Amino acid sequence: MTSPRFPVLCHREIPSISSSWPPSIWTLDCHSITPIPQASRAFPGRLAELRAGFGMKLSWGRWSSYRGKLRKNFFVKVSASGDPVTSETDSVPNEAVGAGKGDPFNHFRGVISSLPPVVFVMKRNPGANFVIGFCIATAIFFIVGRVYAARNAMYDRPGSVADLVRRGQLRSDRRGISTPLKYEDPFNNPLVKVGKKNSTVEMCGKVYRLAPVTLTKEEETIHKRRRSRAYQWKRPTMFLKEGDTIPPDVDPDTVRWIPANHPFATTASDIDEDLAQTNVYQKHGVPFRIQAEHEALQRKLEALQREERLDKLVIDRGNAKDFERQFKFQAKSQDVEQGPPFKPSKSDFSPSPAESNSSSEEIQKS
Amino acid sequence: MLSLQLLPASPSSSSIRFSAPFNLISRTLKPHSSRTRFRTAAVPVQSVLQWNRKPQLAGETPRVVVITSGKGGVGKTTTTANVGLSLARLGFSVVAVDADVGLRNLDLLLGLENRVNYTLVEVLNGDCRLDQALVRDKRWSNFELLCISKPRSKLPIGFGGKALVWLVDSLKSRQEGCPEFILIDCPAGIDAGFITAITPANEAVLVTTPDITSLRDADRVTGLLECDGIRDIKMIVNRVRTDMIKGEDMMSVLDVQEMLGLALLGVIPEDSEVIRSTNRGYPLVLNKPPTLAGLAFEQAAWRLVEQDSMKAVMVEEEPKKRGFFSFFGG
Ligand SMILES: Nc1ncnc2c1ncn2[C@@H]1O[C@H](COP(=O)(O)OP(=O)(O)OP(=O)(O)O)[C@@H](O)[C@H]1O
Ligand SMILES: [Mg+2]
Repeated sequence: MTSPRFPVLCHREIPSISSSWPPSIWTLDCHSITPIPQASRAFPGRLAELRAGFGMKLSWGRWSSYRGKLRKNFFVKVSASGDPVTSETDSVPNEAVGAGKGDPFNHFRGVISSLPPVVFVMKRNPGANFVIGFCIATAIFFIVGRVYAARNAMYDRPGSVADLVRRGQLRSDRRGISTPLKYEDPFNNPLVKVGKKNSTVEMCGKVYRLAPVTLTKEEETIHKRRRSRAYQWKRPTMFLKEGDTIPPDVDPDTVRWIPANHPFATTASDIDEDLAQTNVYQKHGVPFRIQAEHEALQRKLEALQREERLDKLVIDRGNAKDFERQFKFQAKSQDVEQGPPFKPSKSDFSPSPAESNSSSEEIQKS
Repeated sequence: MLSLQLLPASPSSSSIRFSAPFNLISRTLKPHSSRTRFRTAAVPVQSVLQWNRKPQLAGETPRVVVITSGKGGVGKTTTTANVGLSLARLGFSVVAVDADVGLRNLDLLLGLENRVNYTLVEVLNGDCRLDQALVRDKRWSNFELLCISKPRSKLPIGFGGKALVWLVDSLKSRQEGCPEFILIDCPAGIDAGFITAITPANEAVLVTTPDITSLRDADRVTGLLECDGIRDIKMIVNRVRTDMIKGEDMMSVLDVQEMLGLALLGVIPEDSEVIRSTNRGYPLVLNKPPTLAGLAFEQAAWRLVEQDSMKAVMVEEEPKKRGFFSFFGG
C-alpha cells in the first residue's frame, strides 16, 4: 500500500495526530507504517537509529532493515499486551510525556518536545536537506492532491441534483423539462452498455448487476395448471339487465348481469347489431346515421315544397318558418366558416354540414 | 397467506396429470419456442439488451395485445402509451385502443385529449366512420388512438366485445394497410369493461407491481385470461425500486416471477419522470435524454415485437469500480 517512500513524513506527522485519531483509522490508513510510533515512544535511543538512517541518505536497503528491526520490536510489545492497537496508542502519551493521560494536547506537547532531535539532525547533516526538501514537497503535493480529490467527491455527493444531471435525468440548463425526442435513431443508444460477460449492465450512468431468470417451462406449466384449477371461468357473452329472464338456450355461466344504473354500460341498445357491424366496416362515404338524418330532412323539405307548389295560398306558414328558422340557427351557430346561412336544396348533398351538425351536438352534449 | 393461495401446486402433484395440458400448451407455444430456440442458438448474447438493430416482427399481424392488471393504478395506461409509442418509433404501425370506458385517460397521457371528437360508440351508431374516430398522433404518424366511448355516454355492453372484434376486422382490411399492433388498454377490475377489452385479444401483457395486493389480482386475471383462451401472457413488473429490494423491503422481480410463473416482458423502475411526463402529455419514451423507465419501456416494446422474454433482470446497483489511482483524485 503506502510504500516507505515518505518515511520522514510519516515520522513527523503521524505521532502528532495519532492520539486524537481513532485507532481504527490510524491502522487503516497507514497500515504498513504502524511500527513507527514505536520509534517515537522509545526516544532517544530509537531516534539515534533514525538519525543514523538519515545520515545514510535513506537507501532502500537501510530502510528496510530498519523497518525489520522496528517490526521485531513491535511484535514483542504486542505479544505482551492484550489489545495491540488500543494499548499501543494509549501508552504513547504515557511514555512520551509522563503526565495527562490520553490528553491530546499534552500528547502533542510531548511530541513537539520530542521533535528537536530531528532539527538537530538537519543541522548536523546539511547533506540531508535535499532529501527532506524533497519529502516536504512530496507531502505538499500529496495534501493538495487529497484536497482536490475531496472537493471532487463533494461535488458528486450521491443523490444530489448534480447526480441527476449527470445521470441524464435532468438537464442543468432546463431543469425538469426534458426536450422532446424528435426523430432520433432508436437503434443506437449510448446510455446503455452491457458489461463483459453479460453480468452487469450500465444504464444512465449506473451499473446494475444482472441475475438470470430462473423460471423454467415446467414451472410455467405448473402455474398454469394451478390457475386452471383455481379459477374456472367462462367469458360472459350475454349481458342482461338485472331482473331479465335468461333465454332458454343460454348457459347461465356466460350471463353477466348489468345493473340498470351502471356508470358506463347499458344493456339497452337502440341500434341493431348488423347495422352496427356495417357501420364499423364502412370505409367510405357518409356515415349511416348522418345519411339517415339527412334523408329524413330532405323528405320533409320535399314534402313541404310540394305542398307549397300545390296550394300556395293555404300554406302552413308557421310550420315552415319554424322549421327553416331552426335550421338556419343551427347552421349559423355551428358553422361560422360556412359563410352565408345554409340553404338546403334537394339536389346537392354534401356531408360536411351534416357532420358538423353532429359534432356540434356532441359539443353541446358534453 | 398469499403464498398459500398462490403456490399450492407442488411439482410432484402436478406431474401425475402432466401429459394432457402439457401437450396443449406445447402445441400453442410451438411457433414461439422453436423460434426462440433457434435465435438463442444463433446469437446467445442478445437476450439481455438489444439496441443496434430493428426488431424482427414475430407472429401474425395484427398482433392484438391487451394490457391488463386486475388492480387499478399499477400502470396499465402508462405502459400502453409508452410501449405503443416505442413501437411506433421502431417503425411499426400501432393502433392504441382505450378500452377504459368509465375512466379513460390514455388520451391524456398521450396529450391527444383535445383531438378526440369521435369514439367507437359513435362509429357503432353511424355518426362517423371508423377512420374519423382514429386520432393520428402528429409526432408519429404511424400511431393512432381510438377511444371506446365518451366519459358520459353509455356503451351498449352487449356488443362492446363484438365491436372490438369488428374493429380488428375492419382495420385488417383497410386501405393504408393493416396495423402491426393493436394495443388495448384494459380498465381495472374484471367487470364488463375487462370482458370487452379482452375479447379480441390473442395475447396479453400483465402489468403488476411487486406487492402482494397487486400480485393476487394479477394471478386471478391471468387465470381468467387463460380460461378465455389467451395463452401468450407476459408480465411487466412496474415501479420496481432496486434500493428497496436490496434492503429486503420489497419483493424482487424474481420473487414476483416465482409467484406468478409468467415470462417477463419488462421491468420498469420507479421513476419520477413518469409523473412529469403524464403532466406534460408526453410519453416518457420520447424524452431526451431518455430516463431509466423510458429505456425499460423501450426494451419491453422490443421484446414484445420479437415475442421474446427477459433472460436476466437488473437486481441491484453496483458501485462503479474505482481504480487504484482514484485514491489520488484521478
Ligand atoms: N414506473 C413508475 N414510476 C412512477 N410512477 C408511476 C410509474 N408507473 C406508473 N406510475 C404512476 O402511477 C399512476 C397510475 O398509473 P396509470 O394511470 O398508468 O395506471 P392504470 O393501471 O392505468 O390505472 P387505472 O387502473 O386507473 O386505469 C400514475 O400517476 C403514474 O404516474
Ligand atoms: Mg388506466
